[in-house]
Amino acid sequence: MLLFVFRDHPRLAAAQRTSVDAVGSLAAVVTAPLEAWTELSRAFQSRSALQDEVLQLRQENLVLKGQAQRLSSALAEVARYKTLLNSVREVKAEPVVARITALSPDVARHSVILDKGASDGLREGQPVLSAEGLMGQLLWVGDRSSAAILITDGAHALPVQVNRSGLRAVAEGTGDINRLVIKHLPSATDIRVGDLLVSSGLGGRFPHGYPVARVTNVTVSPGAAFALVQAAPTSRLDRGRYVLVAVPESADMLEPET
Amino acid sequence: MIRARARWVIYVTLFLGLMFMLIPLPLEWRVIRPDAIALILFYWVIALPHRVGVFTAFCVGFLQDVINGSPLGLSSPGLMLATLFLLLNYERVRQYDGVLQCLVIFMMLSISVGIEQWLRSGTAVPLVPSGAILGVLLSVLCWLPTRTALRHLRRYYEVF
Repeated sequence: MLLFVFRDHPRLAAAQRTSVDAVGSLAAVVTAPLEAWTELSRAFQSRSALQDEVLQLRQENLVLKGQAQRLSSALAEVARYKTLLNSVREVKAEPVVARITALSPDVARHSVILDKGASDGLREGQPVLSAEGLMGQLLWVGDRSSAAILITDGAHALPVQVNRSGLRAVAEGTGDINRLVIKHLPSATDIRVGDLLVSSGLGGRFPHGYPVARVTNVTVSPGAAFALVQAAPTSRLDRGRYVLVAVPESADMLEPET
Repeated sequence: MIRARARWVIYVTLFLGLMFMLIPLPLEWRVIRPDAIALILFYWVIALPHRVGVFTAFCVGFLQDVINGSPLGLSSPGLMLATLFLLLNYERVRQYDGVLQCLVIFMMLSISVGIEQWLRSGTAVPLVPSGAILGVLLSVLCWLPTRTALRHLRRYYEVF
């Protein structure tokens, strides 16, 4: 109770940072044998398999570079239009690669412990991304480790936008790893199965335009005011060991310009 | 009053139980993780009720919350109440055979999970999914091996 009253006290914030760090290092100790095993099996990988991998990555890199060339010119064009329209400045983000050390042991929560913290430039609320889209945001940040909450957590919701129509909505987590729901969309809304939901950037927490989920199910029951929309996250939240944390160049860039 | 001996064994086993919580499991498989920390706590309460009691239960619950990243005080009350029940009945529980003891442990785990669930609903923390009953059942199955292992440990180090 007292902790609740003083929850914004600076000393408690320090204690919280320390505890995040402690949990992070404990998780690192626990997962160390597994890590060692993975490293060992990598070390004994056959030469031909590695060569194949290098070849594949080179090709992928070439394709991505080609795409990036087109993207940079498109971005420049967009930036020109935006200055013409005098609209919101884009968040320029320099990503930090973090490794997932552990999952939160709490079965009701979807959160992960990362091995990067404030000393790497991470701050609370920064978006966590995977190659396929948005994964979540940083909840607590210690000096050398941090905890991130995933978008499917039952207590998480984020503003999204239907890519096709620009319709804005709020996607809520359900506690189910491949399901988000959108409640409170009027039944007559233009939303279809297969629509891509991207982050809308409203609220200033998530940058605009990252893919979040794809609509899997739209239930319109006659007589009900709202349609029930379900969507599956585009990023495989339970796969992969590395995530990107988008770190804005300066803190004020998260705030939309007025 | 007999002096305490080798008390560190208690704390080391409890700490190992906390580390067990962090062993990586796929996200959807976390529900079947046995509640090792509660089992270890309950064993020490039954075996050494004069050393491990409600305060230890509070500390264990506190650390559990820190590791979970949940609001502090979410898992303590349940563990404390279960510990209290065991403290009041430890002589009887010691006399029970394996099956009955498992039943008691099942009840204690249900109490702690139930109270935690109740607190979660009161503090708007997402509720534990119903699949977690599997974890409780698996913990009950793990009770006898845990008891045997900790008993050997207790006798070897003559913890008192």
